Amino acid sequence: MAVTESNVLEIKSSATWRQRIREARLPWIPIVVILLVLIFGIFSELIAPFDPEESNLKARVIPPFTNAEYILGTDILGKDIFSRLVFGARTLLQVTVPAMAIAVLVGTAIGLVAGYAGRWLDAVLMRITDATLGFPSILVAMLIVTLIGTGLWGVVFAVTATTWARFARMIRGEVLGTKERDFVLLARILGVSPTMIMLRHLFPNVINTLMVMISLTIGQVILLEASLSFLGLGMKPGEPAWGIMVAEGRAQLLTVWWLALLPGIMITIVVMACNFFGDWLRDYLDPKLRRSR
Amino acid sequence: MFLYILRRLGEGLVTLIALSFVVFGSIHLTGDPARFLIPVTEAHDEEVYLAQVKAMGLDRPFIIQYLDFLQGALRAEFGKSFIYSVPVKDLILDRLPATVHLALTGMIMAFSLGIPLGILAAVKRDSIFDKIGQAFAVFGLAAPQFWVAIMLIMITGAQMGWLPTHGRGDIEGWWPEWHQVPDMIHHLLLPAFVLAITVIAAVMRLTRSAMLEILDSDFVKFAQVKGISHRAVIWKHAARNALIPVLTFGGITLAGLLNGSVVVEVVFAWPGVGLLLLEGVRNRDFPMTEGAILLSGFFYIITSVIIDILYGYVDPRVRIR
Repeated sequence: MAVTESNVLEIKSSATWRQRIREARLPWIPIVVILLVLIFGIFSELIAPFDPEESNLKARVIPPFTNAEYILGTDILGKDIFSRLVFGARTLLQVTVPAMAIAVLVGTAIGLVAGYAGRWLDAVLMRITDATLGFPSILVAMLIVTLIGTGLWGVVFAVTATTWARFARMIRGEVLGTKERDFVLLARILGVSPTMIMLRHLFPNVINTLMVMISLTIGQVILLEASLSFLGLGMKPGEPAWGIMVAEGRAQLLTVWWLALLPGIMITIVVMACNFFGDWLRDYLDPKLRRSR
Repeated sequence: MFLYILRRLGEGLVTLIALSFVVFGSIHLTGDPARFLIPVTEAHDEEVYLAQVKAMGLDRPFIIQYLDFLQGALRAEFGKSFIYSVPVKDLILDRLPATVHLALTGMIMAFSLGIPLGILAAVKRDSIFDKIGQAFAVFGLAAPQFWVAIMLIMITGAQMGWLPTHGRGDIEGWWPEWHQVPDMIHHLLLPAFVLAITVIAAVMRLTRSAMLEILDSDFVKFAQVKGISHRAVIWKHAARNALIPVLTFGGITLAGLLNGSVVVEVVFAWPGVGLLLLEGVRNRDFPMTEGAILLSGFFYIITSVIIDILYGYVDPRVRIR
């Protein structure tokens, strides 16, 4: 008897689970693109048929889709472009993941403190935030790169320095709305420490907004990283980053035109996927954030 | 209104001072400029180093050095460039016309294309035209600027030979001679368009949504009921009101275009401030980087303050925030 009941329950819950997915209208194409980038980045060695740094002078300047071995062709030194694109996904993850993590951490912390503390601390923190927001990100990034130098951490900090302020602003706004609610007041009356109130009571209430912000920001972070690499201020030349590949292709535009074309298409598709996914997540989690613009 | 202007100016000033402090402070925290200026042969001579420190005034308290720097910055004096040995001010002033020409052309393109296209998309909502416009906007926001630039160079410049792909011709300074104007425009077309793509997309979307909102409002419906012609309703009643948010956006855009041109200047070898800045960053030429970033920041902040004040005139609701 008990067994059948639990069976019934299980069928029911699985049905609602499926139903929920159907109702959510998941954006399948962007999700597949993002998953592919993750898989390419994590399992690069398994997927790429060649070493991305290895040049093969016997197989130079092969156009894409003309050779079964080198599907997307080779560049002027005979490096396999498909392999370099696959490893480019790894470079993308290496920059984007730590940069976003630091920016989110710093932005959330500042937003929580500013929103909850209020008064002069809020005023000071928000002035700094506005100054950062009101300044073109490429300039901030260039300043950081002058100071730290190029390479992975230069890019990571450059990206972080330009993105944390968005999170801080957003989180502060959410906290201002939440901190007057009864459960927060009750916690204060009970003598819960401010740190605990922020972590236990305020933070869980901003997670939705945070997820939306993250997914809407990733696309711009990828573009900024690619621009820095293209300008020679990001990853070191020769590394398999998509922005650097476009820069290399620019020099060989008349002979190896596909070298500049392909990585650019990759960047565009990935950024588009991130933007579409972010739009969907915003509509799904937080309809009040929906803007007409 | 007076109070509003005062407050906005104050905010701009605070941001500027904060910016100068950050630029000055961070450059001094991470590298000792005195070390850079000593010849390699005397790099280990401590006395030479101390003399250099004293000559540059680096032994004084930090805050005094900062005030000194600020005083110079107010007169746009940032010292001599390490690589050119020329005052940074002269270098920047020399490059400024190219950047301003590019940004202004980009902005003219953005508005002369973005506004009509946006209105058209709103009036013919959900038509094929509207769909293409939306696709363009999605693409414009996702495609990297440098890549679009290179693709356009490949198609229009390198393959077909239609448009010049680098430099600004033989024009120097602010005002070209009359006979140089066609050549100047010819050189401007491609870089300005690339610079403007994202802005065209943004202006178009903004115009479209503002138009849709207004076309749906009561006074437009009333005008239609009154029997005013369709065209007059759209252009006289709806478009005029829809343009207010678009124009404010435009001011912010100009500031953004002035600064956002780094990438475009690099791809098209356009001799502007952005290219200078990149050179400074690559060579760790501190005076030049300081100067170019502070100047760009100055432009950006001043423009946004002016826009906010103008907007306060246009829309009184803004004054009370």
